Amino acid sequence: MPPKALQATTVQGDPETYEDQNVHNVYDEIATHFSSTRYKPWPIIANFLSSLMTGWIGLDSGTGNGKYLPLPLDRPGDIWTIGLDRSRNLLEIARKAGRSDFTREVLVGNVLDNPWRPAVFDYAISIATIHHLATHERRRLAVKRLLECVAPDHGRVLIYVWAIEQDELSRRKVIEDNDPSPPIGKDVVVPWVLSKELSKSSTSSKQIAGPQVYNRYYHMFAKGELLRLVLEAAAELQLQVGSRPKAEDAVQNDTRGIEVVQDGWERSNYYVEVRLWQAS
Amino acid sequence: MVRLITHNLLACHAKDCNTNNFPLAFKDAQLEIREAEFNPEFLKGFLPKIEWTALVDTARQLGDTSLPLEQPEMLDDEFLKNLHHVLLEIHVEEGSMTCPNCGHVYPISNGIPNMLLAEHEIG
Ligand SMILES: [Zn+2]
Repeated sequence: MPPKALQATTVQGDPETYEDQNVHNVYDEIATHFSSTRYKPWPIIANFLSSLMTGWIGLDSGTGNGKYLPLPLDRPGDIWTIGLDRSRNLLEIARKAGRSDFTREVLVGNVLDNPWRPAVFDYAISIATIHHLATHERRRLAVKRLLECVAPDHGRVLIYVWAIEQDELSRRKVIEDNDPSPPIGKDVVVPWVLSKELSKSSTSSKQIAGPQVYNRYYHMFAKGELLRLVLEAAAELQLQVGSRPKAEDAVQNDTRGIEVVQDGWERSNYYVEVRLWQAS
Repeated sequence: MVRLITHNLLACHAKDCNTNNFPLAFKDAQLEIREAEFNPEFLKGFLPKIEWTALVDTARQLGDTSLPLEQPEMLDDEFLKNLHHVLLEIHVEEGSMTCPNCGHVYPISNGIPNMLLAEHEIG
C-alpha cells in the first residue's frame, strides 16, 4: 500500500472528547500492531537515559509500549522509569517491555494530571505524546505537569514531538504549504492501516474486506513552537529561564529556574531538554 | 505494576484533595512475589526520596515486617536486601487503593492501577 498524504484537520467540539475518539480509542485498537513497529529507541533519548545517576527515578509520560522503560540496557536496575499512558492495551505490552521475565512499573493515567507526591521524580520524559493533545493550552499544561513532577533543584526533563519538517526517512508526506515558515504547527490526521491478522475485529466481522484504517490526530509542531511552549509553561510556574546562578551572582535564595540544555530537530521530531535549578 | 516503589510516589489528585492525600491505602490486595535483581547502589540512591513511615506502614499492612520503624544509619546488606524485597519484589496484582482524605478509590487490575478521574473530580 502506498504511503498516504497527511490530511489537514480541524479540532471540533470538546478537546477531551475529540482526543478520546481520535487518539485514545485508536491506540487501544491498534496497540499490538503499533507496538510491533515501535522498538528502536531514538539516540537522543537513549543518551539522555544513559546520563542519569544511579538511584534516580523518573516518569515516562505517555509511555506507549514502554520501549524506554528498560533503558539504559547496560545498567539494568540503576534507574527506575515508571510508565504512564491512557491506553490500557499498550500498557499491557509495556509492563513486559524489553524482557518478558521482567515486569515494569506502569499505570493508566492522563498526562494532564499529577497523581504524585509533589516533585517526587528526578527526571521525566515525554516522547511522541504531547502532539496528540488538541489545543495549545492542553499542550502547555502537559509541559507544566512535567516541570512540576521533578525535583526543583536538579530535575531533568526531555520532550519529543512530531515536526512539520519531515525527513526523507519518514514515509509520510508533508502537507503542501505555500507559507514557508508557519509560526504555529498544523493539525492533521494520520492514517494507521491495521493489518488484517492483528485486527481485533477480524474474527467477528468477516465481511470487512481489506485492512481497517484508523485516523490518529496529531498536532505537527512548527520550528520554535516546542521551545515556546516550554518557556510559557516555565513562566506560569514562575521559573526563571537561564543557567543556574553562580554563588557570586547573589541571587535570592530559593529562586527557581530552568536551563534549556538542548533544543533541536532529529528525524522528523523536535526535542527540548531542560534542567531545573534552585538557588541556595 | 504496583510495587511499593511506585505506591510510595503516588498521591490522590482528586479535586481539592491536597492534604493528607498520601499514602493511598491498599484494599483487597492480591499479592504476587517475583524475584528481582538486587541492586544495592540503586537502593542507596533512592533511599533519601522514600517516605519512610508510609513505606513501613504499607509493608506491614501487606504482611511484611522486615523494615525498622526508623531508617537505620548503617546500610548493611541485610537491611538493603529487606528493602529490595519490599520495594521491588512484592507485586499488588488486584485490589484497589483508597485516599485517606477524600476516600477516592483507584482500582488495580492485572497489576495496573488506574489513576484516571472522572471529569468532575479533576482539580
Ligand atoms: Zn483524595
